[in-house]
Formats: sequence, C-alpha cells, structure tokens
Amino acid sequence: MEKAFDMNMIGDFVPTLTAYLPVTLYILTLSLLFGFVLGLFLALPRIYNIPIVNQLAKVYISFFRGTPIMVQLFIVFYGIPALTGLIGIDTSKMDPFYAAVATYALSNAAAAAEIIRAGVGSVDKGQTEAAYSIGLSGSQAFRRIVLPQALVQAFPNMGNMVISSLKDTSLAFSIGVMDMSGRGQTLITSSNHSLEVYIALSIVYYAVAVLFEWFFRVAEKRIKKNQTRIVTVFDMNIH
Amino acid sequence: MIEIKNIHKQFGIHHVLKGINLTVRKGEVVTIIGPSGSGKTTFLRCLNLLERPDEGIISIHDKVINCRFPSKKEVHWLRKQTAMVFQQYHLFAHKTVIENVMEGLTIARKMRKQDAYAVAENELRKVGLQDKLNAYPSQLSGGQKQRVGIARALAIHPDVLLFDEPTAALDPELVGEVLEVMLEIVKTGATMIVVTHEMEFARRVSDQVVFMDEGVIVEQGTPEEVFRHTKKDRTRQFLRRVSPEYLFEPKEHIKEPVI
Repeated sequence: MEKAFDMNMIGDFVPTLTAYLPVTLYILTLSLLFGFVLGLFLALPRIYNIPIVNQLAKVYISFFRGTPIMVQLFIVFYGIPALTGLIGIDTSKMDPFYAAVATYALSNAAAAAEIIRAGVGSVDKGQTEAAYSIGLSGSQAFRRIVLPQALVQAFPNMGNMVISSLKDTSLAFSIGVMDMSGRGQTLITSSNHSLEVYIALSIVYYAVAVLFEWFFRVAEKRIKKNQTRIVTVFDMNIH
Repeated sequence: MIEIKNIHKQFGIHHVLKGINLTVRKGEVVTIIGPSGSGKTTFLRCLNLLERPDEGIISIHDKVINCRFPSKKEVHWLRKQTAMVFQQYHLFAHKTVIENVMEGLTIARKMRKQDAYAVAENELRKVGLQDKLNAYPSQLSGGQKQRVGIARALAIHPDVLLFDEPTAALDPELVGEVLEVMLEIVKTGATMIVVTHEMEFARRVSDQVVFMDEGVIVEQGTPEEVFRHTKKDRTRQFLRRVSPEYLFEPKEHIKEPVI
C-alpha cells in the first residue's frame, strides 16, 4: 500500500542510499577496467582487418550493442552456472555481484572497441608512416605513436561511455546485486514510499554523473592542451 | 651504393611505375622532378617500402631485397638504413620537438636516453631550433615543423635521406629556411634523394637529375645535361612550363596541334 508523499523522507533516504554508492562504483570501475582491456583486443582485429577474428569481433560487438543490458545480465547470470556445470563446477551459489561485473565488462568492451577503433581511425596515416620511416616496428608504432593519440581523440566518447555505464549499473539489482538501486528496492519494500526512494536515487545518480562530467571536461582540456588541432574561428575568443 | 632495378607499381588498373632503374652513389644528391601524378612520390615511397612495389629489386650495401616478397626483417632493415622527410611533416603530434627527434634513437636503435638527448639536441641546433626543444609541433610554424622533420631524419644517421617534396606545403616565405637547411646537409656529403618542384635547387645542388613522367624515367643526367642540353621534348615542355618566364610568353606560338 503506497503511503502519502512525504518530502522529508527523501532527505532521509539519500544518505541511506549513498552508503551503497561504493558498491555501484566498484561494479563500474571493475567493469570499465576489464571492458577497456577486452575492448582493445576486440578493436585490434577490426583495425587491422584480420580475417575471421574480425568477423567474430564484429558479431560480438553487434550482439552486445543490439540487446538490452537486462537481458544480458540474465543470460550471464544463468549462463555462467550452466557453462561451468558442464565441467562439473557448481557456481549456482555465486554472488550475483560477479555476474553483474562480468556482464557490464562484456558490454563495455563492445562499446570501448568501437570507440577505440574510431579513435585510431582518426589518427592520420602519416603518423604511422613517419614512425616506420625512422625504423619503428609495427607494434612500436602502434603503441607509442598511434594509440596515445587515438586515446586522446577517444577521450570525450570514453567519458560518455562511463556515464552511460554508471546508469546501466542501476539494473544490476534485477539479478539480486545489493548496490544503490538494490538498496532502493529494499527501502521501497520496507517503507512503501516508492516515489521518495526513486527521487532520492535520481538525486544521487545525477550528482555522481555531474561530477563525472565535470571531471572529464577538465581532464579533456588538460590532455588536449598539447595536441595538434586546427584552430578555427570558433576557438578564438572574440570580444 | 644503392641500386634500384625495375620497380613496378600498380594501383588497381593504374600503372604508376613502369620499371624504374636508378643507381645512387655514396654522397650523391639525386633530385627527381616531374609533373604531378608522374609517380615520383610513389617511387620515393617504394624505396623504404612505405609503398610495396609489385616488382623490383633494391640493393643497399650489397644486400639485395626483392621488393615483391620482402620479409618483415628485410623491410625493417631497409627502413633503418633510410629516413624520410615528408611533405606534410608528420611530426608526432603528442611528442615535444626533442622527443620527436629522440624517438628513432631510443626506440628503434635502443640508444640510451642521455645519449639520444645529446644527439637530438645537436641535430636540432644544426637546423636552428635549439630554443624549441620542449615545444609541441602545434606551436611551430610550417618551416619550423619541417626543420624538426629534417632533424628527426638526420638524427638516425641514415645511409640515404629521402625527401618527399619537403617545401611543397610551405608558405612561400618559409621555403627559404628549409632549403637553406637542406643545402647545409648537402655540404656534409650526405646521400640524398629529393623529390622536388624547386627547379633552382635541383639545378644547383644535384649530381643527378631525374625527370619522370607517366611512370617512367624520361630523361636523367647531370643538371647541365637535363636543364641546359635537354634531349627530350617532354622534358623541355615541362621545364618551360615551370619556368617563371612561361606566364609571360606569347602563347600563340606554343599552342599544341589539336588532333
């Protein structure tokens, strides 16, 4: 039974929910870390057009970008025990936290791969040629010359990915993870004040997202300071 | 020292190089001139295998590389003997001037950082940029960028320096400072192959001038032979058109017959 709207409850809920923010951030950090590394390995065959692996990467990316994150969560959550069961390991009692991290990592990898690929594509081919011309090997040219510039190019998109991934983690409660949203669900059950809980949740998520956005904006400015870019009239301060 | 035999290159149906032969002795300056699309840049890029010829042989120091199927090792080896200066500079945008010059030393040649720094600083002094060591490419003028490009190529002490139209992208006012640096390099006795539109430069510093058109070498020889005692009509036509006087010549006389 829903109770009458009570503004004061929001203020009470915010600190209760914020106490679970570390869990949310933990899922986010781990999944971004693993996702980024996996994304790099997915991007490489796409960039270098390596036969077969390229097709597999394409299918992988397309699948994870084309299915809802909640469906992916359940597939991984039920899929891991089913898979490990085949080799006789029982993981059905596994903490759903790990399934959530795995899902978000797999999903972030698909997004990261496309972002990295676009970043590498935006680096002038001449950079690679110049690296070759002074005797760098293919991998040296990629690691030392192309990738650093590609990551700078990709940085704004990475920022967007982090923020959208933060919002995605709010679905982890559906497989029973006790993160901020999970705690929100239990608060609703115990208090019968759904609206207040959701408003409190939105306040915390929004605050974190704004903080991230600010951080990425400042970081981007610092990183781009030394990069070559074409200065247009739009960059000039005309008063 | 360098012998290049029968280089062929095709882009799709477009036959860009139709069997180029060239011998370059140690300390020689070879300039390649010719109209756009004649294949001169492609030929130069074949020499460090940035472009893979369909056929041909490059030998340096008695080491013979079959360009059709070079091994990774051969490609890498060849690139270590050569260095290229690009029309669009291609400085590493995320590295400072000194880091740009050090890169080929510390990474490709495993030189110690302090030693590489000393070499790079010295090369940058030669091109007059000793006070820009810590600047980023985006903070330099075109002429300064190209001088860094030259220092980067010089630093690795290649057997042969390849210049791909090094002044073509520069403001007219900045061409001089780059050519000046190149003249200094000529004086050191470096082996150079230069693709250029700077005819006066070609005329004055070359030991050998090569005129290319439509994928073949039309004419080659000393500057005296090519510029003064031109043998082929196509060369004469090209030289006339690039000469400053061309614009003011009475055009009625040189109209080509319409077939």
